[in-house]
Amino acid sequence: MGEEAKEEFEPKIIGFTCNWCTYAGADLAGTSRKKYPPNVRIIRLMCSGRLDPMFVLKVLLNGADGVFIGGCHPGECHYIKGNFYARRRIAALRTILKQFGMDDRVGSYWISASEGDKFARTMKEMTEDIKKLGPNPMRGKIL
Amino acid sequence: MKGTELKYEDLEGVFKGLLDKKVVDCLVLPHRTGNNVSYIMVKDGDKIESPASAIFAPSFGVNAANIAKGWTIVEKVGIVAKPCEIRAAIELIKLKQLDPDSVLLITVDCSGAFTNEVYAEHFAEIGDLVDSAKIEGLKGKGIAIREACEICEHRLADFGDVIIARENGEKVQVAGLSEMGVEALTALELPLEDKEIERKEEKEKIVAEAKKREEELPKISSMEELEEFLRDCIVCKNCRDMCPVCYCKECFFDQPLGNPTGGDLLNLAGLREAIEVPANRLMYHLTRVYHVSTTCVGCGACEDACPKGIPLTRLYPVIAEKVQEIFEYVPGKDVEEPLPFITYEEEELEDKLR
Repeated sequence: MGEEAKEEFEPKIIGFTCNWCTYAGADLAGTSRKKYPPNVRIIRLMCSGRLDPMFVLKVLLNGADGVFIGGCHPGECHYIKGNFYARRRIAALRTILKQFGMDDRVGSYWISASEGDKFARTMKEMTEDIKKLGPNPMRGKIL
Repeated sequence: MKGTELKYEDLEGVFKGLLDKKVVDCLVLPHRTGNNVSYIMVKDGDKIESPASAIFAPSFGVNAANIAKGWTIVEKVGIVAKPCEIRAAIELIKLKQLDPDSVLLITVDCSGAFTNEVYAEHFAEIGDLVDSAKIEGLKGKGIAIREACEICEHRLADFGDVIIARENGEKVQVAGLSEMGVEALTALELPLEDKEIERKEEKEKIVAEAKKREEELPKISSMEELEEFLRDCIVCKNCRDMCPVCYCKECFFDQPLGNPTGGDLLNLAGLREAIEVPANRLMYHLTRVYHVSTTCVGCGACEDACPKGIPLTRLYPVIAEKVQEIFEYVPGKDVEEPLPFITYEEEELEDKLR
């Protein structure tokens, strides 16, 4: 443990991305060989509107250090308005998490299928931000 | 709005009239039995006796909207209740858990309430009616109103179909707010006249006082504090069952995923090395905070229902208010206003996402 603690903290970020935009954006980042930190584990949803805020609560309670949510730009949802609903839910969820100082661990971004560059950049920024925040206080807790 | 001024003793005639003239098929209203006040459902008007001694009584047992939750009836039921209960009923209408045509919502002014057990125990001191001065006096003697009532900004009856507003000298203003409410009063052949019940000053005073009290409440400001706050929770889910706006027919936390048992629990324990049992304590409360965040009317029924005495008012209504603020939504204010999660604007909230 002593050796490990000296190493830089590597956050675990869970990413929820929509099938049509951000997932394709991530794919593009990969195929165009953009470099970004390997801290994110992506879970593909069909739409950011599919994201039940309970998913976010659950991963946070299970010790994830950050949650990334990616969707199509507002107005460009594959299902017309899924991300408009998602936006309201995420805003409400982050307002709740703010009370407990956990809101900074959740970030949502609009990244289109052609924005591989933006995806890589966002991952880099988010990993940096979470590193600054340190590990999730719920990590390793018996819950 | 159309209304009239009545004396306390006239109210008996109003309620009896609603039943006799078939404006409503039945009435749910507070009823006094000795020191206690609880709800009864009345079909025969003769069973209503001096309602003024019960409907203004500062006693909170169950939220009346919780009684009507999920009703599918064709008859019309009149519900006589405090503002928080009527607001919850209006939220239930929006959640499609109550048919707006099958209820006549009659809102009564409230000055804050005691839990029903405190009320019954100290009835001699509290009496039928209280005002803010009396509540302060009682607080000095250690008889305090519920925390949810202390921080309540909506004590005046300005929601629902019919309002019963208290005035000095044992008088009330009875007025119809909605079309249905005016029709109901018209059927009673009351001398209605056009009137505006504007109590702006009083309202501002209540809001200022409530905000001040809310500031004074202990805050839960980190996950560690939340854990500490919920330490005594036994996950009985009574707070959910007594909550008027927690309405799912099948709660996630009654299903195998939310309420794992037996082999599922063993698997989870194996996966996570150790888990708490009953499982999902924090998850349950955080999910519930989110689920009621836009519709919570802050009635405090959750706190009253907690067998372990956890002051849940410091969790649910306090956080819900913050969420309602970002949508500029006041639950129960307007039955036509859509719930925040079923509507959106094309440009909004971008500053709240990251």
